Amino acid sequence: MQFSRVFWSSAVIAKKALFSWLNPSLWLMQLFTMSLFQIAMFWYIAQYVNPGQSLDYIIVGNAMQSIAYVAVFAVTNITGEEKESGTLPAVLVTPANRFAMFVGKAMFQVLNSMATVAVAFFYAIVVFGLDFSSVDLLTLAVVIAVTCFATVGFGLMLSSMGFYLRTTMVLANIFLFMGLLFCGVNFPVSDLPEFLQPISYAIPMTYGTDAARMAVEGASLTDPAIMSLLGSELLVAAVAVLIGYAIMLAFERLARRKGTLEMF
Amino acid sequence: MPRLRAMTASFRQQAFHFLSAPSWLIPNIIAPFVITMVVLLMYQEVTGPAILYAVLGGGMMGMWGNTLYASGYSIQSERWWGTIEAVLVVPSSLIWIIAGRTIWNALIGVVNGLLVLVIAVVAFGVPMDIADPFMFIVSFLMTMFSLAALGLLFSSAFVLTRQAGVLTNGLEFPIYVASGCLFPIILLPGWAHPLSMSLAPTWGIDAIREAAGFSPEDSIWATVLGASPDAGFILLDLAMVALLAIVYIAVAVILFRVVEKQARLTGELGRV
Repeated sequence: MQFSRVFWSSAVIAKKALFSWLNPSLWLMQLFTMSLFQIAMFWYIAQYVNPGQSLDYIIVGNAMQSIAYVAVFAVTNITGEEKESGTLPAVLVTPANRFAMFVGKAMFQVLNSMATVAVAFFYAIVVFGLDFSSVDLLTLAVVIAVTCFATVGFGLMLSSMGFYLRTTMVLANIFLFMGLLFCGVNFPVSDLPEFLQPISYAIPMTYGTDAARMAVEGASLTDPAIMSLLGSELLVAAVAVLIGYAIMLAFERLARRKGTLEMF
Repeated sequence: MPRLRAMTASFRQQAFHFLSAPSWLIPNIIAPFVITMVVLLMYQEVTGPAILYAVLGGGMMGMWGNTLYASGYSIQSERWWGTIEAVLVVPSSLIWIIAGRTIWNALIGVVNGLLVLVIAVVAFGVPMDIADPFMFIVSFLMTMFSLAALGLLFSSAFVLTRQAGVLTNGLEFPIYVASGCLFPIILLPGWAHPLSMSLAPTWGIDAIREAAGFSPEDSIWATVLGASPDAGFILLDLAMVALLAIVYIAVAVILFRVVEKQARLTGELGRV
């Protein structure tokens, strides 16, 4: 009972805090421009490199990857922002369950991520001419929902390092863009050097982008390939959340012992 | 003279800030670096000058990314630290203080740009055959100067908003797209061309590419003239870079006056 109360109140406070700091019009500007320019950038590059080839691979990849701004960048900065605001010690002296608190704080970003991908797919179809004629909408919706949850889980793992690092901003920026390189967004993972490919499969987004492409091509939820991709994505995300929780507890203890909780 | 002293002091202060936490270089450079790597992997089946085209564009993005982030966060950080009012009440005008910081940031931007070039050359074995090394360096430095001017212009707007960080993130990709760092701007829709041409980096990368030995067919002049120019265009590119930099500085001077007055009137400068 206490777990769900802490979870819910953290989610509500995180949403209120975001809009007390961020002007809603700027939030809307971000929502409607980020994905547009990211897709445009790679769409034009691909047109220049391989004129005449289908660009659907790149459009879907970048539409999915656009959630990184929210699910990776914003979520990774959760602990860093508490630290910079001077509120981290106050939060940690409460007896509230840490897991419920930090997962709750990230929940608004799951909704935010879903809205970001929805806007990105709107641009993909209307502006960039994505062929949406064979899509299985239910499958695509499930893939997007699973990917948003999984990527937020991955972001939480990164966020846990904020208990120890002086700032999470550097980490957030690295992983914001790493997805472009590792997650099969603009080229298949198999094009990467072999020694880098395991990194790709440790990031949930890799499975999400592949599953979204299959859904756009008409694969249904009962397709074993889709089920396997979504299963792998959830498994990787669950492992990431558990690792993140363990890191959080370990770093909290370390920071208390060394007195570095407020250092940034 | 006191203005020059204020500018020099703020240049030194920005240098000390950078040296105290050089890891901040990573957020500034990560996007250009990753995008260049992505593009090089997309170009795997393409050989020859197209690779160099991408690498030079990546270097340009590295310079721009640093200028944008540094100009956005130099104001925002003062807000977080509670020192922005102290900066505004000193006798020197804010523009001289920001100018010193912007020049340091532009210098680091050049380092960023060169870092992207070196990594691409080493990791991907991109041949760096520069046709005219002298003009290449001149173009690089002129572009750095224009980016400093553009950073100054953006900084003036960032003084008024407490959400400079959000705007900074939001402006990164639009400028990469509009300046045609990685593809010729002729691919953009016609209505976007004036916007592209109003950005000094667009002309800067054009000059850098010609100095590197690219033919004029993909240049911005092909877009302007509707056909490939017969002669070299590098001096015209650099003239445009200089002209736009002067315009940015002139507009920044006016904006800083307005913004300083507005900040004193509303009393909301330190709101985080």
